[in-house]
Amino acid sequence: MYAQFFGNYLLSRGIVTKDQLIRAMQEKSSAHIKIGTLAIHAGYMTANEVDRVIILQTHQDKRFGELAISEGYLTEQQVTELLRAQTPDFLLLGQFLVDDGIFTIDEFQNIIIDYQSESEIDDFSYSDETIDQIDHMIENFFVLTERALSSNEVSFIKLLINNLIRFIGDDYTPVSPSPCREYPTTFCVSQQLIGSFSVRTYIDMPEDACIEFASRYVGEPFYEFDEYVRASLNDFLNLHNGIFSVNMSNECSIELELAPPVTETDELLTFEKETYLLPIVYPFGMIHFIFEVINI
Amino acid sequence: MQKDVKILVGDDSILARKQLKDIITTRCDINPIFFEASNGQEAVDLYKKESPDLVFLDIVMPVKDGNAAVREIMEYDSNAKIIIASSVGTQSQLKAAIEAGAKDFIQKPLNAEQVCRIFTSRIEGR
Repeated sequence: MYAQFFGNYLLSRGIVTKDQLIRAMQEKSSAHIKIGTLAIHAGYMTANEVDRVIILQTHQDKRFGELAISEGYLTEQQVTELLRAQTPDFLLLGQFLVDDGIFTIDEFQNIIIDYQSESEIDDFSYSDETIDQIDHMIENFFVLTERALSSNEVSFIKLLINNLIRFIGDDYTPVSPSPCREYPTTFCVSQQLIGSFSVRTYIDMPEDACIEFASRYVGEPFYEFDEYVRASLNDFLNLHNGIFSVNMSNECSIELELAPPVTETDELLTFEKETYLLPIVYPFGMIHFIFEVINI
Repeated sequence: MQKDVKILVGDDSILARKQLKDIITTRCDINPIFFEASNGQEAVDLYKKESPDLVFLDIVMPVKDGNAAVREIMEYDSNAKIIIASSVGTQSQLKAAIEAGAKDFIQKPLNAEQVCRIFTSRIEGR
């Protein structure tokens, strides 16, 4: 998980110009589409051979790589190498800048190390207890949904916990998630992620808990349930969804959009789609997160 | 004496506007005069009215988003200095912001040092 998009990191450091970055982003996306394109780019296959494998794929339910190996176009090692090159996506961006002569492969290595040390939201600095707790929560969701959670869903929940620890504090206790058909609101804000992964997340808490939530989020004390305190819920959701979409863009080339956060005015929310309630207990009160699955 | 600098801050969150203003007020060596907009349309209207020296814009805003506001402001004044400050620094948003004419893109959460560095370089270059 990353705190910012690799391209923006390069730009803010003055490592690339705007024109160079835009060109790299365009080049990268055109070459990212299929492993076959990468195989051509790597000089392992000709365009004709790729076409032949794609036609074979229409008859056999096999992966491109498997067929390319059985046809003798690629070795297993080459397939592994190409698959690795596909993810994370930001490495491709860097590779194109290397190819473009913007920086050398040696410089690229150093850039990657600096980028990761400055921008990576590190999962591993947490205690074993915290990691166990997060894994346990993911398992609970797994039991609830009666299907395997997608890697994107797991990333979304892990990032949420990560952001709570980072911006509110690690003195929380999660309560087991449950399915949710309706929910009586106290003070509730929601925001929808739009795209191939679309979830509407609600955050709800009583006014006094909200004051402490805002104080922790901003890092200065608030004493009244004022407009700044109310806005802290919008900002937290917006930050979480924003960073999640940055990660999807950076690692998977999936572009999501955010709707502006809204304050819920209904006293009772009802849900028709698959929806889950996740209570999180802090010393200052209980926070309820609700995830309404629009499409995933 | 500190020089006056007119700064337009466009963000739908009153809290996000406060955090940005606090950083500039306490850490940058100028006398800021702030104008605040809570959506992209208000930002465009205020820009035309006040001709600020510098603009900070969020992307995700109601009525009109930040990148649309950048385009409109740049059409009105091609010398406008606009800095995007957003949590949604994805590839497509970054590309749209650059193409619209934004000078810098700051990923939220705000880093005070980064804000000051960009602020100072843009103000000194005016």
